[in-house]
Amino acid sequence: MTPPSAEFDVRLDRVSKTFGAVTAVRETTLDIPRGTFLSILGPSGCGKTTTLRMIAGFERPTTGNVYIRGARVTEVPPYKRDFSMVFQNFALFPHLDVAHNVGFGLRMRGLPRADIDREVAGVLDLVKLSGLADRFPRQLSGGQQQRVALARAIVMSPAVMLLDEPLGALDKNLREEMQIELRQLQQKLGITAVFVTHDQDEALALSDRIAVMRDGRIEQIGAPRDVYERPANEFVAGFFGVSNVMNGEVVHVDPDGIDIKIGEAGTVRLSFAAEPGRRIRVAVRPEKIRIARSNASLPLKARLTDVVYRGASTSFFLELGGQTLVAIRQNEGGREEGLKAGDAVVCGWDPNAAIKLADG
Amino acid sequence: MTPVMRAEGNILLPVFAAASRSALLLPPLALLVLFFLTPLLYLFFVSFHAPSQSDLFGEGLTLGNYLRVIGDSFFLTIIERTMLTGALVALICLAIGYPAAFAIARMPPRHRLVALLLLLFPLMVSNVIRAYGWVAILGRRGVINSTLRNFGVIDLPLDLMFSTATVAVGLLTILLPYMIISLANSIAAIDPHYEEAAQSLRASPVRTFFHVTLPLSAPGMTSGLMIVFLLTLSAYVTVSLLGGPRTKMLVSLVFDSVVAFAWPRAAAFAFILLALALGVALIVPAVLRPGRVRGLG
Ligand SMILES: Nc1ncnc2c1ncn2[C@@H]1O[C@H](COP(=O)(O)OP(=O)(O)OP(=O)(O)O)[C@@H](O)[C@H]1O
Ligand SMILES: [Mg+2]
Repeated sequence: MTPPSAEFDVRLDRVSKTFGAVTAVRETTLDIPRGTFLSILGPSGCGKTTTLRMIAGFERPTTGNVYIRGARVTEVPPYKRDFSMVFQNFALFPHLDVAHNVGFGLRMRGLPRADIDREVAGVLDLVKLSGLADRFPRQLSGGQQQRVALARAIVMSPAVMLLDEPLGALDKNLREEMQIELRQLQQKLGITAVFVTHDQDEALALSDRIAVMRDGRIEQIGAPRDVYERPANEFVAGFFGVSNVMNGEVVHVDPDGIDIKIGEAGTVRLSFAAEPGRRIRVAVRPEKIRIARSNASLPLKARLTDVVYRGASTSFFLELGGQTLVAIRQNEGGREEGLKAGDAVVCGWDPNAAIKLADG
Repeated sequence: MTPVMRAEGNILLPVFAAASRSALLLPPLALLVLFFLTPLLYLFFVSFHAPSQSDLFGEGLTLGNYLRVIGDSFFLTIIERTMLTGALVALICLAIGYPAAFAIARMPPRHRLVALLLLLFPLMVSNVIRAYGWVAILGRRGVINSTLRNFGVIDLPLDLMFSTATVAVGLLTILLPYMIISLANSIAAIDPHYEEAAQSLRASPVRTFFHVTLPLSAPGMTSGLMIVFLLTLSAYVTVSLLGGPRTKMLVSLVFDSVVAFAWPRAAAFAFILLALALGVALIVPAVLRPGRVRGLG
């Protein structure tokens, strides 16, 4: 085992957690470098909250170890760990006003009164809540409560800030506004943050790194661009909105790429390597698929099964070689060719657009 | 049915719904007005009259019944004792009830239910029987005195009965379950995220309790203190059996006056008791401010 380094604010070393018969987290290893905004992304029940709570110390791992700033904290109770947390329902103390909520942690640390007042004023200024110091949580809007919760966590200058779906309680517009603010604050202060979400757009917009979890395991971890454009497997691809997965047979291989045959629909060129004769699975994003009534450069023959107008875009459902695909096209007003369900069309995509999944 | 009538029906529907909901309140409301509010007002009226040998009350209006109480140190001592005993019992219930309530609140829900049911058990035994139980323990020939005498610790029986402390102990054991139930429900209702938030902000479990759990249980403390205090004010059996002729409370004065057919004086005592109860019902929430936990200042 490599010794934990202080360069990592948080390190999980083969951590797992079981609740009775349920395994919430399986043998997970995760290093979070200083200043990183890491999102843990995954469907409901995949173990995101449990992972976060093990970093906080609210759950004790069944096996493995947790390190914060290089120190092993596996058995250390939460109140002695260097973290702060923003809860989904904010958990602002209802009997304390904004200033006392934000100053709570500093008071517990035993800071002198004058220092607490100064720090609290500073951080309230930072989150643009200066005028509201003596309000009670009930007297604040959702967005304001969110800012108080953030301020309360930030003022502690923790080694790591943990956020469990903190934007989940907000409506869509406010959510997007808070995403930007959260990201700006985190970058300005250089705080290491672990952010739990099941919203892939949020994870893409906010993160330096994204860990995609499924069923207690991290399936892939990388920069947003990596996980989005080079998903490691079908699950990650699917999670980032790639619904088009096709089976094909490699019929030709040359140094520039391969040709695969997709059923009766035809043969299409892809720019990655594979062995001839293998059956492989590839994925293509809906917005990368081009369709036309007829076009010599589009090699695959398909039939339109449905056309759905969505305002900014139109979704075309295609059937080709016994498989179903969806193509999305931005609407540009008047340029539509009047395609409708039942039409025979041709389709294709740029050789670089296809993502290679596990060999089929 | 014509379309017009249907339309009217639709418009009136919400009105009917509201009316029928209020109608549900009518029977208890009628009972309350008939058998509580009206006699109470009548009693208030009675309390401003002189006593009479033959009738319920004598001629002419007077403040005499009230003025006599204020001017008489015997009555004032009893009022003071009543209030102090109530406060003492309520506070001791709070102090010994809180740890038990906390433990019950932290049990898994099913165990919690069983514990609360067990707490209700003693309430099924009549107060009279329980008061005599204390007599059997504390009386001159009670368990304590006979044991001490058998062991030669004392020659003459100790006087353990008929003191304020005896009454307080009797009331305490009867009223403790009310306090525990009211506290346990309030503590169990506290969102565990508040305590986790406190710990994420460096509060040890002890400080988490004093800074978060305790203040957030203010609603339970308020209702517990009020229930216990108000029940001590109206407890008669326990007071008369354990307090005897020496340790009277306000209810004893009401009873004594009724027995002496001094109806107007009894009514005046009853209203003094009611005023004190209302005072307590106002002061306790004003001090504990249970609304705070909902952020209402
Ligand atoms: N205290 C617990 N007792 C028993 N099972 C638990 C407990 N906490 C979590 N689990 C189980 O562990 C698994 C992972 O739960 P977790 O809360 O970590 O999921 P999550 O990814 O945060 O989901 P969500 O997006 O719905 O919040 C789930 O199957 C859950 O039922
Ligand atoms: Mg969760």
